[in-house]
Amino acid sequence: MSAYTAEIDPVRRAGRILRWGARWVAVPVLAGVLVSGNIDLRSLPLIGSERETAVLLLDGQAYFGHLDDSGETGTLLLRDVYYFQDAKSGPTGLPVGLVLRGQEAHEPADGMRINRDKVLAIERVRPESAVGQAIAAERALRGTSVPFVSLNRPAIATRDALAPQRSATEQGIQRGFLTAAAQLAKLNELVLPISKSEAQAIMDKASGDLRTVRQSALGAIAQTMRMSASDAEAYVRTTEAQLDRSAFVADAGVLLAPDLNVIVTRATQLYAQVGDGAAKQLTQPKAAPSTPPSPSPAASSRPSATPTARP
Amino acid sequence: MGTQWWDFTVPTLGRADYQAVFLANGQTYFGRYYDRIGAYAKIEDVYYLQQSQGSDTDAAPETKLVRRGRELHSPTARMLVPKSSILFIEDLTDASPIAQFMKQDRS
Repeated sequence: MSAYTAEIDPVRRAGRILRWGARWVAVPVLAGVLVSGNIDLRSLPLIGSERETAVLLLDGQAYFGHLDDSGETGTLLLRDVYYFQDAKSGPTGLPVGLVLRGQEAHEPADGMRINRDKVLAIERVRPESAVGQAIAAERALRGTSVPFVSLNRPAIATRDALAPQRSATEQGIQRGFLTAAAQLAKLNELVLPISKSEAQAIMDKASGDLRTVRQSALGAIAQTMRMSASDAEAYVRTTEAQLDRSAFVADAGVLLAPDLNVIVTRATQLYAQVGDGAAKQLTQPKAAPSTPPSPSPAASSRPSATPTARP
Repeated sequence: MGTQWWDFTVPTLGRADYQAVFLANGQTYFGRYYDRIGAYAKIEDVYYLQQSQGSDTDAAPETKLVRRGRELHSPTARMLVPKSSILFIEDLTDASPIAQFMKQDRS
């Protein structure tokens, strides 16, 4: 008769192995599968490139920025916010322009709390997208520094990456210039209630004003690009000559960094003011023939030296 | 931030490959819909209908199915939608021309 020994009972041994396996193998494996299958690794902080998010609202507006949404409250927080502004009639070749939030009349502080009930969708912006590149360029233009420790490290464009932005800005300015010049030329073809010499004087003055606007806009680019005074002067001179010389080709539109977009928008407004002023003078008969012609645009419509209008 | 890291989807069996998601603003997205735990649902491989008017203004506008991702911000394939913005969701049958187009476009 042999004594029963629990240690060597095969059923008990199998039970022990199963318990050990469940505790140290099955549970960790299951937990690993569950967690890895349900985490978006690209969304984790400190991993990968910047996480720029697009928040699309029910009213059609889209905001881009760093999203902080714990899901606990009814609002989500968006920081470093950019948004689209209508630019259908603008010379950039795109129907929208990018604007940095914070420069509106009420000068809001950073951090926009959005009611989740008004959100249509949330998407990740690719860094290589037009929006991603324009935002990175804007940070470079503003001299934004990358913090040593950041959960969502902002992407900043290199000097080389700014070149297409600068070129596209110059093209936008030139497109506006050519449009305004063409409109002036059309005006001159009309039957005007003033003499030819008076009309020519007005046209010459308006053409000069258009060039001044373009020059100021190029100066504003140099200033935004943080060029030294001498470099800026050389840049404006050579770029003006290039724009005058080269046959202008309308390239595909580039979404401009907000600070560059402001320059193009302001230049376009001033071109229109110059054109309107000239049209008014050309088409209005003079009250008294003895009065000398007044070819210059009204004082208020004279182009300013620095086209730096805020949206 | 947290809602973006975690991606717990509710498992569903026997559903169609693609769904149509009708939203509160009248827009409809087509794609693979996943019910996530939390405030957001997820749609992957998103398509939407786009209407464009040709040169003939009297003609009916042309409608085409557009794959999301070629917009100015080049969004990734994953879209999160607050559940409060969803009106309803429908499965697309295999015979659906939209489902067939998406399947073909993805292959």
